[in-house]
Amino acid sequence: MYALETNNLTKKYGNNTVVDHVSLKVEKGTIFGFLGKNGAGKSTFINMVTGLTIPTEGSFTLSPAEKVNIGVLPDYSTFYDDMTVLGHLKFFSRIMGLKLPKEEMIQILKRVELEDAINVKAKKLSFGMKKKLGIAQALLNNPEILFLDEPTSGVDANSVLNIHSLIKNIASQGTTIFLTSHNLDEVEKLCDEISIMDKGCIKKQGTITQLRNEFQNNLTVRFKHGEIPDEKFPTLEKELSAYETEIEWGRNYVKLVVPDEETISVINKHFIDTGIDVFRIEVDEPSLEEIFLSTGA
Amino acid sequence: MITISLKEFTSLFKSIRSIIIISIIFGVTLGSAKLINTFQAELAQFDLGSSAYAAGLMLIIIIASPLFVSSLSHNVINEELKSRTIRFIATKISRNRIIAGKFLGILLFWSLCLFVALLLTIPFSKTFPISEFFQSIVFISYFVGLTILLSTLIHKPSLSILTGIALALVFPILGLWSVFSDNFFLKVFSYLTPYLYFSKEQELYSFFVLIFPVIFLVISLMIMRKRDL
Repeated sequence: MYALETNNLTKKYGNNTVVDHVSLKVEKGTIFGFLGKNGAGKSTFINMVTGLTIPTEGSFTLSPAEKVNIGVLPDYSTFYDDMTVLGHLKFFSRIMGLKLPKEEMIQILKRVELEDAINVKAKKLSFGMKKKLGIAQALLNNPEILFLDEPTSGVDANSVLNIHSLIKNIASQGTTIFLTSHNLDEVEKLCDEISIMDKGCIKKQGTITQLRNEFQNNLTVRFKHGEIPDEKFPTLEKELSAYETEIEWGRNYVKLVVPDEETISVINKHFIDTGIDVFRIEVDEPSLEEIFLSTGA
Repeated sequence: MITISLKEFTSLFKSIRSIIIISIIFGVTLGSAKLINTFQAELAQFDLGSSAYAAGLMLIIIIASPLFVSSLSHNVINEELKSRTIRFIATKISRNRIIAGKFLGILLFWSLCLFVALLLTIPFSKTFPISEFFQSIVFISYFVGLTILLSTLIHKPSLSILTGIALALVFPILGLWSVFSDNFFLKVFSYLTPYLYFSKEQELYSFFVLIFPVIFLVISLMIMRKRDL
């Protein structure tokens, strides 16, 4: 069951195609990350599926489709200068027809660490605090789908960690979260599935593991081993050279490139059979940054 | 929609503007009524002298309300678009409700201002001109609708205030002129302004004006539905 399904969703401004025939499916209950540099089309995409921008072509389906079940933190949005933090939550909840008690709204503000600013007017809030208020208003209706456009940009480091744990907590309750970010670590840390966007097109999509596997056909593995007696070294060297790979012998380690995880297991068995202790096996995984850069985005 | 209306209403009402407007309506109604009373005998021939206060009220509404409405509410939509506050609202309720809510909020503000101003004239007039009160609301609704349409069409608040004021100055002149003119184009134009319907003897004609704000709002909605926020 999909929370969001788009079919050739496209947005053009004159001759400039900002989102180019994007088709994707977001499974319910997952955290889906949209990764891309500034101007890649992430925000335009999120604006289309949240009804802020009218698509030029294509269609999308949200499940549930009612606005009352959807929470949105739009990008670059401002609040009413003379309205307080709590006033905003009251206003937005009334708009949605929710009758939330004050305590519940304060609880939401606590979740985003804004409880000390409930009576502060929006014009006096810092950028980061406005971002937190944006997240708070998106949580008012306890949404089934939550769209967060750059939720941590401009937020201080401590608050970023808090927002991350908040996002994980919300997702653990079954909410589907769709977030955009250009922070690779954030996406890697939070998301179940990732889509890398560039120039309006999806360059890669999948889980982190799928993207890693796709990116790297071979695995670089390092076996940290114990002392190898001189008489056993030729046997081990012969066994490993059978894999026709570059072998780098170091002090108490051997580094080699293998085609898959099964080979790692087989090599480990060679060490054991030869009577050599293996203390640690390290597999070098490509970072999301490497994958991201490999797309040319 | 009610929340949007109330927000629009309170943002207009809580400022000094409401006191100024009530004072102007009250003052002009009273002043013109006294003036009308001095010419009671002459005006009685035109069936006006008996309701001098009502005539005073209609005078200020017909001449000045376009200017008041456009200057106060010219940015009702485009300011929200410019500041992007509308993005938080538009993700929660439909655009139709936003437009309708804004319209009702502004109209509620004017209704209350008129009501208070007319209440203040009761000690002098000894009566509350109910019919003229509702006619005034109908007349103002035309310009509220038009102002919302302008604010939807024109992206920059600085431009919408200029256009609004220009129209508010031109409309009463052209509108009143067109009622009495034999020029074909002005005759056609007169059907598009509220002045023609308010110049008819039968009061019911004035309520026909209500169709115009509906048309203005429908056009605004059609524009808003196609607009990226």
